[in-house]
Amino acid sequence: MVRSVFKSFLYLPKTITNISILTHPISIPSTYPTPRIYRPVVKKIQQIGSLFSVPVGELGSLFSAKYSINASSNGNGSVDTGLGGRDYLLMSDEELMRQCEMSTFKASGPGGQHRNKRESAVRLKHNPTGIVAQAVEDRSQHMNRASALSRLRVLLALKVRNNIDLDTYTPPQELLQILPAKSTIRVSKCGPQIGPNNPKFALGMQALLDLLFAVEGSVSDAAKKLGLSTGALSRLLLSDDNLRMAVNEFRKSKGIKPLK
Amino acid sequence: MKVDICECVEEMRLSFIRPISCCAVSSPATSLKPQTPLFLRPPTFKTTISDLKKWHLWAKSLASSVGSTFLELDNGPDSDLLLRELNWLVEDAVETPKLFLQQPHKDYHDNSSVSIRASLEDLYMLWKQRVEERRPFQYVVGCEHWRDLVLSVQEGVLIPRPETELIVDLVDDAIKENEELREGLWADLGTGSGALAIGIARILGTSGRVVATDLSPVATAVASYNVQRYDLEEKVYVKQGSWFEPLRDDEGEFVGLVSNPPYIPSKDIDGLQAEVGRHEPRLALDGGASGVNDLIHLCDGAVSLLKPGGFFAFETNGDEQSKSLVHYIETKKQGSFSKVKMVPDFAGIQRFITGFRGR
Repeated sequence: MVRSVFKSFLYLPKTITNISILTHPISIPSTYPTPRIYRPVVKKIQQIGSLFSVPVGELGSLFSAKYSINASSNGNGSVDTGLGGRDYLLMSDEELMRQCEMSTFKASGPGGQHRNKRESAVRLKHNPTGIVAQAVEDRSQHMNRASALSRLRVLLALKVRNNIDLDTYTPPQELLQILPAKSTIRVSKCGPQIGPNNPKFALGMQALLDLLFAVEGSVSDAAKKLGLSTGALSRLLLSDDNLRMAVNEFRKSKGIKPLK
Repeated sequence: MKVDICECVEEMRLSFIRPISCCAVSSPATSLKPQTPLFLRPPTFKTTISDLKKWHLWAKSLASSVGSTFLELDNGPDSDLLLRELNWLVEDAVETPKLFLQQPHKDYHDNSSVSIRASLEDLYMLWKQRVEERRPFQYVVGCEHWRDLVLSVQEGVLIPRPETELIVDLVDDAIKENEELREGLWADLGTGSGALAIGIARILGTSGRVVATDLSPVATAVASYNVQRYDLEEKVYVKQGSWFEPLRDDEGEFVGLVSNPPYIPSKDIDGLQAEVGRHEPRLALDGGASGVNDLIHLCDGAVSLLKPGGFFAFETNGDEQSKSLVHYIETKKQGSFSKVKMVPDFAGIQRFITGFRGR
């Protein structure tokens, strides 16, 4: 898997020639579907950044350079341009990587044999959304690439919303899989509950956030749709730091008090 | 100035004859028996959580005391990087590193036992060497993580660089275009730790083979050890000798040639980051006055080594060197190669030249 992550990058000559630390605004090529993106202010994103086991200082610069997307905001912090972001998470690593530009961190100096810094940091920029993920803590660039990609999946789940029609809503399979067994709408074929360490969790988390955004952040309304008590859904929302912070940020923007 | 150079040489010499102390049973670098990386040694040493914590605290404060001194001095590591390395040292040295690193800090009186792969005394010494002597971290722990491999390294062998990882992918691309390359004979000249040879052997087909050469007996010993660790003795032959010399019998039989030869201009060696200039083998770094001596030699030799359609990829010092080599091939080796081009590394530097032997 790790190999394929790296490989797929190489299929794209464009990504190789475009390597640069991105300081200019990003324009979306017209061939990409335009997603709907939730845009918290930069300061808050840095808080989410600190969840990762990476020095906050380095993440600060990473997280501030993104979301420079040419789409209009509808005023409540999310950008509604039609298509959803579920497609990104359903992509294979190779497909997702093909939408990314990769660069290494500090491009200063001659590199190569001149250097011994264990500096194998990797930064991935997802072109359609402008979301940037990076990894620095692994010991090889190869592994950092894989870490950055799985981190990108989490960020896509947290930031890119899918439109939901509440009247006809039925929770998708990936959402059922992350629900606790006591959910009344959960059927046995869903298998055991999937936790945050499972790669499939991001997809479920995205669907859960889609629902919460559709019900304006009301946990009790979302709980009803999922066959759970409000308490049980709260516990699920609080069980993962990323999920908790994304939910609370949204609730704050709606003037609802945070979950604790 | 003259005195400085002498001191530097003396220091280099000392660093080579100093017992390699990450080894429980230390042996000089010239020994042909390669050292076992720290993480592969049995956890036969015992200490207490409390004593290990004291070491860890001391090591952290030593790392922190560096600040950005080395960075400003010679673009060396800053405290953040050293602290990250310290975590990796714990990962390699302690049998249950996660347990240790995640323990709450209050337990300074925890006398329960913990198993480690070097004596506590050695751990103090190793970290002192890392920070005070600027001994490369990879030599301290005896390994480098490269691609999905963990390669043994030691003094006398170049530590494989992240940039070089890309060469394996360039080879993979070439192989996918032409199945003949997948099953043929490859050469990795100046193999060092064997990184490229091993990386390539793992993507070749069942009958694909790699011959890896190096002038340094330490390098060939370490490369052989790494080849063994990855069970590739059937696929990778390690031979000692200068560049093409060990391959004379099979000239014209090779479908591929890769190399990360020394390419740093001699005048730049003194100004290198201490970890590199003071501790890594000059043989693997110094490419002569303009740095291209060995690269030129490789381009010349590739003509007779490679079969028609055979692929080559060389790492260079970057933009200017790559340009001048492409120019050299296009003018002096006219007609010998096709599709010669430069390929950038992930920092955007034109780091590699690749091409094919003309048909």
